[in-house]
Amino acid sequence: MNIDVNAYLGHFAFRRLRHNTATSLLALMDAKKIDKAVVSSAAAITYRNAQAGNEEVAEEVRSHRDRLIPFAVVNPFYAGWQDDLKICHEEFGMKGLRLYPKWHNYSLSSPSCREMVDAATERGMIISIPMRVEDNRERSWLLNIPDIPLDEIVELVKAHPKARFLLLNGLGHTGSPLGRKNNGLPSNYAIELSRLSAVLANELGQLITNLGADRLMFGTGMPFNYPDPALVKLEVLDASESDKEKIRGQNAATWLRL
Amino acid sequence: MNGEANSNPPGSRSGVSRRMLLKGSAAGIVALRAVGLPAALAGTGGRPASNAAGGLPRQSKVIDCHAHLTHHSRRDWEADDRKLIEAADKLGIDQLCCSTLTPRWPASLDGFRECNRWTAEGMKRFPGRVLGYCYVNPGYTGEALEEIRRCVGDRGFMGVKLYNEYTCNEPVVFPVVELAIELGVPILHHAGHSHYFVEEQPRLTDSGHLAELARRYPEAMLICAHISGGGDWEWAIKAARPTPNLMLDTSGSVTDADTVDMAARVVGVDRLVFGCDSSMTAGIGKIRGADLSAPDKEKILGGNLMRLLGRRKA
Repeated sequence: MNIDVNAYLGHFAFRRLRHNTATSLLALMDAKKIDKAVVSSAAAITYRNAQAGNEEVAEEVRSHRDRLIPFAVVNPFYAGWQDDLKICHEEFGMKGLRLYPKWHNYSLSSPSCREMVDAATERGMIISIPMRVEDNRERSWLLNIPDIPLDEIVELVKAHPKARFLLLNGLGHTGSPLGRKNNGLPSNYAIELSRLSAVLANELGQLITNLGADRLMFGTGMPFNYPDPALVKLEVLDASESDKEKIRGQNAATWLRL
Repeated sequence: MNGEANSNPPGSRSGVSRRMLLKGSAAGIVALRAVGLPAALAGTGGRPASNAAGGLPRQSKVIDCHAHLTHHSRRDWEADDRKLIEAADKLGIDQLCCSTLTPRWPASLDGFRECNRWTAEGMKRFPGRVLGYCYVNPGYTGEALEEIRRCVGDRGFMGVKLYNEYTCNEPVVFPVVELAIELGVPILHHAGHSHYFVEEQPRLTDSGHLAELARRYPEAMLICAHISGGGDWEWAIKAARPTPNLMLDTSGSVTDADTVDMAARVVGVDRLVFGCDSSMTAGIGKIRGADLSAPDKEKILGGNLMRLLGRRKA
């Protein structure tokens, strides 16, 4: 089973997205043989009140819960975030969060963020963090949002050993403690593959060696990205079929309790 | 070490490492080298018949128009070159058009000559798989032209690679373009467009500059490098639209959906050439993901570049 842990619905402020409705995303998933996808609101990245994006996603996936698994975008510095988290979890059935600390202008080490991570963890929710939304070089003239440095993630995973973190759209983990063997960090994080190399430097292969295949998950970034590059990575990856199965969907199914 | 460093080469502003420019743009530097062009183009060397990256049309040759061999100052250059060929094997890429770039810019005369010698050696190490671009700093006017004649005429290189020493519409570049026209070979020009000043590349060319150059030289075969290399690709595609002799290379680490589709809509599939620039799965995946017909994908994957290479003059 292919489970994409890195998908989105809705509009993005700076570029038109195709396949950004539930119906069209599902059609794309059918074409690419992707069974299920974790989705969150692309619009909530730039909405001031991110909860409006969560409501849009909840409505969009209502008839497709067998395949589209919604996550919530929550800003721990915005009024009412505790209420939003409760609604997203209890009413919308959202199994995790997507955090945008750079876009929402807060620090992962801030007390508010730490409080939100604890609250989500108490609810058993996964905390996913896109390290970037777009390549910074294509940014609009209106803003300059940096990628999240991996060092900030290292501190976060150390501070919340009981939380479950899913790192999206990242690379260079092997140059950080996050991707090293015996790194002394809790095993509370998994890494999604959409930007990892599978040939040449082969970061994906290195991470399997260093962390184990249990810690890697398939993701595409669609509809921001073409899904095919991520699929091609799994096709050419030099790994056992059992490891590939874990990455394709078994690990995600375990984390998502499917 | 390469032979650069003592004096400031033409185009000097600030020395910038390739590593810095590649930051966020895929893997490290890779390398290769081939045999005389016409023979190399005739076959696909030892590439396996299977295509691991299924789903792509395979009627004609798949040619990566934008690849690099590793600079020999890197300890693992030979292994890195082999990895490039292995990656091409896995992905069903028959041939790679490679340049070797100096690790710092602007390139010195000794620096680019040495790189081209290594490219020529790479063509021999991987016969039929590696085609060569002759890389020059146009600021060394006479020597650069002489180097291009030697590489294209004697060593069988397939084209010219220009980097960021000069913006392509500066007059110092014109003699290189005129020689490429005379020889009938394409020029692959490094390019990118961001909505801010790129300090590390003060003379960065974009597709608008290349369109201007293409209008000045309608016989030139110009290739705008990596529309997925990081900048605003929608801008890059639109700026290239009016000039039929300007091709767009699809390479780069960015895998934004609709890139190839929009390029096909705006400039037409006949002006697109497949490339990876070391982002191998991204390069193949984007073509596979584009909502285009199989014949159109075949053109992008190799047919269009073959058409350009067919215009080579003896």
